Amino acid sequence: MTPGTRIVGRSLPRMDAPGKVTGTALYAADFALPGMLHGKVLRSCEPHARIVRIDTARAAKVGGVRAVLTAADVPDVRYGGSVKDEEVFARDRVRFAGQPLAAVAATSPEGAAAALEAIEVVLEPLPAILDVAAALAPGAALVHEGWASYTALPILHRDGNVCNRARIVVGDVERGFAEADRIFEHRFTTPSVHQGYTEPRAAVAQWDSSGQVTVWSNTQLPFEIQTTLSEILQIPPSRVRVIVPGIGGGFGGKLRVGVEHFAALLARRAGRAVKVMTTSEEELTAAYARQPAIVELKTGVTREGRLTAREGRLWFDTGAFAGSGPGVASVATLMLAGPYRIPNLLLEGRAVYTHKTNFGSFRAPSGPQANFAVESQMDIIADALGLDPLELRLRNIVHEGEEGPTGQVLAAVGLEECLRKVADAIDWKNRRPAPGRGKGIACGWWTTTGGSSGVYVKVNPDGTVALNTGAAEIGTAALTGAAQVLAEDLGVELADVNVVSADTLSTPFDFGAQGSRTAFAVGNACRAAAADLKRQILALAARQLGAEESALELRERAVVAADGTRVTLAELARISQATGGGLIAHGTFVAPPTPYDAKRVEGHVYPAFHSPSFHAHAVELSVDADTGEVTIHRYVVAQDVGFAMNPTYIEGQIEGGVAQGLGQALSEEIVYDEGRVLNANLTDYKMPTAVDVPRIESILVQHPSLVGPFGAKGVGEPPNIEPPAAVANAVASAIGVRISSLPITAEKIALALREQAP
Amino acid sequence: MLARRGVVKTPFRGRIMPPVSFDYHEPTSVREAVELAARFGADARFLAGGTDLLIQIRRGQLRLRHVVSLHGVPGLDAIEVDGAVTLGARVTHRRLERAPQLGGGLQALIESAQVVGGHQIRNVATVGGNIVNASPAADVVPALLALDAEVTCLGPGGERTRPLDGFATAPGVTACRPDELLTRVRFRPLPPHSATAFLKAGRRRAMEISLVCVAVRLTLDASRERCLEARIALGAVAPTTVRARAAERGLQGQALTAQAAREAGRMAAGEIRPISDVRASARYRTLLVATLVERALARCGERIRRTA
Amino acid sequence: MTTLALSLTINGATHEVVVPPHRTLLDVLRNELGLTGTKENCLEAECGVCTVLLDGVAVNACIVLAAQCRGREVTTIEGLAAGGELHPLQRAFIDRGAVQCGYCIPGVILAAKAYLDEVAAPSADEVREALAGNLCRCTGYQKIVEAILSVTETR
Repeated sequence: MTPGTRIVGRSLPRMDAPGKVTGTALYAADFALPGMLHGKVLRSCEPHARIVRIDTARAAKVGGVRAVLTAADVPDVRYGGSVKDEEVFARDRVRFAGQPLAAVAATSPEGAAAALEAIEVVLEPLPAILDVAAALAPGAALVHEGWASYTALPILHRDGNVCNRARIVVGDVERGFAEADRIFEHRFTTPSVHQGYTEPRAAVAQWDSSGQVTVWSNTQLPFEIQTTLSEILQIPPSRVRVIVPGIGGGFGGKLRVGVEHFAALLARRAGRAVKVMTTSEEELTAAYARQPAIVELKTGVTREGRLTAREGRLWFDTGAFAGSGPGVASVATLMLAGPYRIPNLLLEGRAVYTHKTNFGSFRAPSGPQANFAVESQMDIIADALGLDPLELRLRNIVHEGEEGPTGQVLAAVGLEECLRKVADAIDWKNRRPAPGRGKGIACGWWTTTGGSSGVYVKVNPDGTVALNTGAAEIGTAALTGAAQVLAEDLGVELADVNVVSADTLSTPFDFGAQGSRTAFAVGNACRAAAADLKRQILALAARQLGAEESALELRERAVVAADGTRVTLAELARISQATGGGLIAHGTFVAPPTPYDAKRVEGHVYPAFHSPSFHAHAVELSVDADTGEVTIHRYVVAQDVGFAMNPTYIEGQIEGGVAQGLGQALSEEIVYDEGRVLNANLTDYKMPTAVDVPRIESILVQHPSLVGPFGAKGVGEPPNIEPPAAVANAVASAIGVRISSLPITAEKIALALREQAP
Repeated sequence: MLARRGVVKTPFRGRIMPPVSFDYHEPTSVREAVELAARFGADARFLAGGTDLLIQIRRGQLRLRHVVSLHGVPGLDAIEVDGAVTLGARVTHRRLERAPQLGGGLQALIESAQVVGGHQIRNVATVGGNIVNASPAADVVPALLALDAEVTCLGPGGERTRPLDGFATAPGVTACRPDELLTRVRFRPLPPHSATAFLKAGRRRAMEISLVCVAVRLTLDASRERCLEARIALGAVAPTTVRARAAERGLQGQALTAQAAREAGRMAAGEIRPISDVRASARYRTLLVATLVERALARCGERIRRTA
Repeated sequence: MTTLALSLTINGATHEVVVPPHRTLLDVLRNELGLTGTKENCLEAECGVCTVLLDGVAVNACIVLAAQCRGREVTTIEGLAAGGELHPLQRAFIDRGAVQCGYCIPGVILAAKAYLDEVAAPSADEVREALAGNLCRCTGYQKIVEAILSVTETR
């Protein structure tokens, strides 16, 4: 039998499914404590204003109210990731419509709502910077007058309303353009879109008599929340315990503090546990949605279709606080290059402050925006040169051993195989099957984010194995994958493994469920722990069986000697527990840094893609020439996953990621008017229903990573990247209309068609 | 970055929060229900499916002192066919969709009921509720309008029956008084050689408030060539559901050709002044009216000729 | 605030609650009765996570007043597994990889059950249409539809 195929590589049912289908699995939104209070947050209706007065006297008198807080009641602390510019409540100045002004806790939700109504707020509206153009206009006012005084990562290039400018420079773009036969310049725009998790953000906080607080939250990053709360509450991190009971979807929107700090601050004031949960309106107004983007792309190409140079600029509207902006602007530069060989590059990503909510990380941050631009332009170029769009790509994609844009050497490059397989599957030779019907293709690459993970593993006296990890399960089945790795290495079944997760007090550190890293990093930590445990097991078994360790095998829940004598894992665990303290190990993993050429980058917090994945999408669709409505007939994805740890759940990531990507492609946008969200509800924020999403065909390509467990790469984010470009290209192919802004609505198509008609 | 022209309006600005509570009443007869309505007037509303009412209360758009549930009131949920069709006000969209007595020439009624929300909504939302809620984008109302339906309201002074055409006077406002209960809606049988069709446009394929919806009733002559009469009802393009009367008149006596259908669509589009809002621009709505009216007429023609 | 004394039948068991009239069935299930299998999200009948069966028919519990449920049968996800045996739909969702984060799943399973009780052998398109009122953000609906169809095939 090939090593590694007993448990890993099989589509085994996920471990937490029974609890989820019976309604017994507990999510943070379900969590409650006896006597708990209900917390609510009052938010600004103005995008930019001076706070004249916030008067909470009447609110404090509303029946059942036990705490009322404003900026005056909390430490004057600025926190944040790459730039510490964030605050719990607006103090003196409001910087976005939806910014918290106050919070209350009461014995009933009605009481809390009544208390909010009773808070008097007087705001003096100020001119608001509504978009990137306004923020960068000469003489524009500053969103943060004190920007230079904020603590920030030294590597960032900050200047006024630009909270980072990341840059990649390779070769000489002017020379590259001079070598080109044709130069193409295009501009693309994308709006903000929301992760759309079906479980609102929720947290319950409770203080104990020694000044320690426990927070139950549906965060993806319990250790980061622990750190942030420590800063906000001004207590050591060790006095903050964050526990994740269960998460109903995250997609990056539950990375940073959202309601945990309100719950903790209110609970401290009230002396009772407090629960805070967001509403749909709060989610669509004041959450960590995807940054709106503007992309300008200038690409030089020879008449044979060889790319010679690219100058690309991407501006992210990062909202009122930097948040993920600086990092996303960095990643964007790698996505503007795409998985292509381009000898001359000048690529810039800028995160720009405006008076909107501080946008955050959403599944493959910067990916869909940059890929929409890059892959749309590739098709425009192919069309102009009279080349097949597939052929243009094949002539320029990177291969094994070649360089990425920052000089990293690329290994395990499955891109050509992905492109050829989707092209075959969609019958690419027949690109324009009928009038109004067309096919489109798009490809890309993505990273498996680094960061460290630790696990504790022990063998119980009944032979089961306990896996203790700091990672949270957000729904991808990553922890089932990690458990499969552990079961594989320890010679047990998946059903023998029990997982305890995501408690900053009792589980080891994990960098968090982000960046498609969980199965990869926790899986590898499990391998390290399993190796240590195996040594202990074999040493003990050798003594029990009177055999040499080298003659022993760990399999089928036992240690077996060459002559057939065996001792069960359960028995060994019992013996060890009685006489030696137990079979216990820990394992840690952090991905080795990926070497790159530091001279090529500036202001860059993400200069290389680790264990990169490669992917290609193809779609066939029809367009109704009168209404502009798009009907998708087929959608195929080929994704290089390195090693398919659990094919069913990887398909699940692809199917879900494409559905979410199609929403961004065709129907989703958070609509702003004068700095206020017009469609802050699920009636008018249009996520795809079961009737809207087509069948998606997944092809799993495997070019094993040198680093990942059994060769696996990160798989969760990539499927969200290519749908907008694939759809845009197919629409252009079907009806000759190129839409360069998202979403590609029927209205845009219909109006563009009418503009074109003679 | 959005191609919009014209006035951009916010559909609503409510905050999701629990309401101030109300008194809850469960009358067990129509008479008792009307008595309660008369007593409480504008401080009360009837509760049927609740798919509009409870959401409006939760958003703070409605503050009620009294809610009068119709669940225990018999006699409001029958579908009667005796030539004319009478629908009790509490007939749900689900029952409309599945009613074997409808269909055939009345297909538009089924088609309009089918596109409202998802199953959960259609299982409880009622025809009476759809009429009285008077959303400009109501789906079933245009189908009823195309059938020249009449509505009956019962008040302390007795019954009043009036045409559905003109019953809604503004978004959320109808001629039903605070002390009246809408009990039924009725329409006469279709003339021979008639058919109906309903079409809807939305940004998604389900769970949509219509960008535009169109219900058409067409009656041809015995040769099935010439239009005798047409009704074209349009939703989401005016403060209430409206009829495209000029387009209707333009079809009378005309041969039903592709050209005539296209011209009727053009005329209907010319009769309306839709708004631009977060869902669609006025220009797109106008264009959709032209296309959907044309297609609905063509579909009616096919349906009539298929029964030949 | 006035209150109503309500006797509600949930999963075959009777529960007595005393609540203000505006409380929804969803409020009562989750907060009074601790039955958190029925989920909470948009609270305006757009997402379907609160789907329960009322006399066998799928409804959004967030817009049903608890008071309207007197004398009616409410079925929640907790009531589906009979005597410890998983319902075939629950079994199929586990076996077919149809569960990811799982938050939409109780509502989806109940909507599917109500639909299959009516239509024994639907097509994939019909199943999708029946689920239009249940948003799922994780799965793209595909394995959910496959799981539901697998149940009809084994009948």
